[in-house]
Amino acid sequence: MIQLFHVTKYYDRRPALFDINLQIDKGEFVLLMGPSGAGKTTLLKLLFCAEQPDEGQILVQQRNVARIRPWEVPYLRRRMGFVFQDFRLLPKKTVFENVALPLLVQGVSSFDARRKVMEVLKAAGIDHKKESRPPLLSAGEQQRVCIARAIVNGPFVLLADEPTGNMDPDLSSEIIELFKTINARGTTVVVATHNRQVVEQVNRRVVTLAQGRLASDDRPASDERVGQ
Amino acid sequence: MRRLAYLIKEALTNIRLNRTTTLIAVATTAFTLACFGVFLLLYVNLRGMVGSLQDDIKVIVYLHDNLAQQSILEIQHRIKAEPEVASLAYVSKEQAMADFRTQFPAESHLLQGLGENPLPASFVVTLVPRFRSSDAVKRWSDRLRSVPEVAQVQYSRDWIENLAVVVVYLELVAVAVGAILSAASVTIIANTIRLTLYARREEIEIMKLIGATGAFIKIPYLLEGTVLGALGATLALIILKAGFEFFKQQLGQPGRFLGIESGFTFFSNQVSLLIVLAGLSLGFVGSFVSLLGYGRVKV
Repeated sequence: MIQLFHVTKYYDRRPALFDINLQIDKGEFVLLMGPSGAGKTTLLKLLFCAEQPDEGQILVQQRNVARIRPWEVPYLRRRMGFVFQDFRLLPKKTVFENVALPLLVQGVSSFDARRKVMEVLKAAGIDHKKESRPPLLSAGEQQRVCIARAIVNGPFVLLADEPTGNMDPDLSSEIIELFKTINARGTTVVVATHNRQVVEQVNRRVVTLAQGRLASDDRPASDERVGQ
Repeated sequence: MRRLAYLIKEALTNIRLNRTTTLIAVATTAFTLACFGVFLLLYVNLRGMVGSLQDDIKVIVYLHDNLAQQSILEIQHRIKAEPEVASLAYVSKEQAMADFRTQFPAESHLLQGLGENPLPASFVVTLVPRFRSSDAVKRWSDRLRSVPEVAQVQYSRDWIENLAVVVVYLELVAVAVGAILSAASVTIIANTIRLTLYARREEIEIMKLIGATGAFIKIPYLLEGTVLGALGATLALIILKAGFEFFKQQLGQPGRFLGIESGFTFFSNQVSLLIVLAGLSLGFVGSFVSLLGYGRVKV
């Protein structure tokens, strides 16, 4: 479903990613590990078309996003979900409105939008806060809202960049459980993290990056893939 | 429909959230458009005045005194037969005196004591439109002066022509001033929208990340600029109307330019609507300009 062939990305002539070859299948839960500056975020940005590779090709659902035209990007993003470390929620809109936004840009009817939003808010365990505004929520609650927004479109892949970065272990654990639930329902999940606790909790495929290179790609013996 | 409602709501929210900058932008746009409006108003009124004066041009043919009635009739037939003449009216000496007394009641005593009526009889000639140009009027008048019974020929063509030239120059000035002030309005609105874009850059980035197209993101800002332009133009019209009424009232006061104020007119409803549309367009262009650079920002 996602394939990277000899992908290289430079920033100021220094390689942030160098000759990366990677394949992520449908239903996989992949953890991108590595210290800060290893290239995890760059890799996610490439998948999300926020950046273009300088070398190599990236296939996302058979589409070469290395050659995607700018006007096609929004339509691809509508089929993907992205979770940020800093949540990126609109502070003046309610939780409900924030989560409904991806449906609104697609022109989904009010009735369907309401139904879908309530569904994902319940799944994320944040439906009781639907009328609140993000600044009044805790970090864990805000991340749940962010996850709900990312999955409201029913994306084929959920990309998360350090989703537990600012959280204590208990909260972090809750968020990871939520990702596992989403993955169990068939969505491919790619989480960038440097948190070892997350690796232990998830116990799935771990792709490690070091200084922009692919250092290791480990699959635990018990790796269960949904949809395979 | 839901998307359209959202886009309009967003535009209105932008305006509400940036009240101070919006107010400044509307006021400055109104002021610049009002400055242009003054020129336009002057131009429209002078052009109207020249037009009506040109339509109203008359040549007065004064006759020598003591002409026999028969001679007067002959010369009347002769003038009437000229192809340049549309119509003519005979004003006898007595009629001329009566007209003078009516038009200048305060000065009528000047003619008392002269014994006999010094005012000559005349024909007031209206020329056909194609012979109303300066050259045509001069040619015809010169020809008429050679008629022995004619004492003098008078017309007011030259100063009307001069006024028409002034109007042409005023038109050029209005276009130049309009272009400069329009550019100023566009810049003001563009800067206002740029400030809004800067204030909401994070929100725009989020919208891009969740799959909003460029159009979906930009439309509220285009609407905002359009609304600012329309509001500025409307305010400019209100300022102009107030100024115009004040000016007209001042002119109409006794002892000033008697009756001249009735000749001045404000913009017609169509022209007013055009001015609002112009403001609206300037606002749209201003937003568009500010969004041109913003569209290239990568997310």
